[in-house]
Amino acid sequence: MGAVRPYLQFARLAFQRRAAYRMANATGVVVNAFFLMLHAQVLLGFFRARGIAEGWSAADAVLYFMASESLLLAIGLFPDWNYNLAERVRTGEIIVDLVRPVRLYAREVAERFGTAGYYLVTRAPAVFGIGWAIYGFVPPLRWELLLFPVSLALAIAVMAGLWFAACSAAFWRERANGEILAVVIVNSFFGGAFVPLDFYPEPVRWLANALPFRATLYTPVAIFAGKLSGTPLAFGLLHQVVWVGGMAALASMLEARGLRRIAAVGG
Amino acid sequence: MLDGLRLYLRLASAGLRAQMQYRGAFVLRSIVDFGVMISDLGPVWVLSSYFGHLDGWSFAELALLYGMVSSSWALVELGLRGFENFSAYLLRGELDKLLLRPRSVVLQIAALEFEARKAARVAQGLVVAVLACIALRLGPASLAWVVAGIAGGVLCFAGIVMIGASVAFWTSGETAELQNTLTYGGSAALSYPVSIYTNWFRRAITYGVPLAFVNYFPALAALGRTEAAGWPRALPWLSPLACAGVLALGLAAFQRGLRRYESAGS
Repeated sequence: MGAVRPYLQFARLAFQRRAAYRMANATGVVVNAFFLMLHAQVLLGFFRARGIAEGWSAADAVLYFMASESLLLAIGLFPDWNYNLAERVRTGEIIVDLVRPVRLYAREVAERFGTAGYYLVTRAPAVFGIGWAIYGFVPPLRWELLLFPVSLALAIAVMAGLWFAACSAAFWRERANGEILAVVIVNSFFGGAFVPLDFYPEPVRWLANALPFRATLYTPVAIFAGKLSGTPLAFGLLHQVVWVGGMAALASMLEARGLRRIAAVGG
Repeated sequence: MLDGLRLYLRLASAGLRAQMQYRGAFVLRSIVDFGVMISDLGPVWVLSSYFGHLDGWSFAELALLYGMVSSSWALVELGLRGFENFSAYLLRGELDKLLLRPRSVVLQIAALEFEARKAARVAQGLVVAVLACIALRLGPASLAWVVAGIAGGVLCFAGIVMIGASVAFWTSGETAELQNTLTYGGSAALSYPVSIYTNWFRRAITYGVPLAFVNYFPALAALGRTEAAGWPRALPWLSPLACAGVLALGLAAFQRGLRRYESAGS
């Protein structure tokens, strides 16, 4: 138990750091709601040509997007540009981390879960509630919905690995802004942030199924929207578990190699 | 004025030099910025290759809308970066420093926090617009409309960031996010034909903040579709006027804010 305590502290501090900015969080709800409304209308516009596509109705697609937009911050699809591992490396603050008996990657995971906890009780219900007030869509009550929290937790773990991998570029050249933005862009497209992967043309969908990004968004969100069951559901969860392990292995390797590169600048 | 411009260029090149201290990171970030079309335009490509069209707009036509608006907005982000983050400067009292210099305050603010990588965003917008024009085989008159739309968009977004900055004189900067909704949100909204939106939203961006004049009406004119979309044939000609109006409003609001400004003193 003693070994876990510092990580629980990191999670708690991450939660509190987010909670400190009341005004920013309130306006953030407005921004999320704006994009929710905007893209929902685009989806409805496309569906006007056809009632049902790939087994999805317009209502399914909008519900999927409502869930995706509500969970963006909880899962952590956007980075914290000002406070992350890369900035700690650049400023030299990382030295403080090194004197602590704490693994950097485990800390990242803990902080991601703390952040997720905050947004899950505030942002997600607020944004989803606004979407519900406009469109009136709710997830169908099926037993698969019970797997949503599990899938969501796996998504957050994969996301933590992606951020850690992107930020660790800073060990080699002090900055990782390019890598971080690349994760945002690629993850948003291959994760299906706007459009469910079911609509992607064949070869792109195969690629998306192999890459880690769908684990961060498509799988939990499609489960929430009631669009994953049977074999695809099993594949989705297995894919997530495999990539949690894959990202953890990659992150641990980068951590070990990166730390060997660190040279503290006195002052 | 000429002195002011020279100062603007010097400040911008100082910013560029600072960013070049991390050369590898700068180059990578620019490449990635160029790739933003993957997440912006990728979903539109997926949906239009599946459904064929959005309210009668093919993928090439949607790409034209996106290319136009993202070029305009990226040009403003490149050239007027300081206005976007103006409230932060105001709060830190840094405006006083600029007021002391006998040069145009507007140009000095414009050059603050100049971000050279935004040039990659301009390039990606222009590349998308040019490819769309080629795919649509647009003639010279249509191309003129595309260029006019991009130029109008620059004026309109410049006006919006200036209005956003001016509001900070009265609210001390709590409104930055709402300005982002108009700029980032506005350029996202304009990546799709205005006709798909519900009535109140369509009216708000046509008659309220005249965002529809940025790229929608010029694109309709370029595609020869103004009347088919239910608008008077001459309406796109109002675009430059509407966009210049927003800029004039922005400049006037900023001047008023400046006159009202009293330093906090420290």
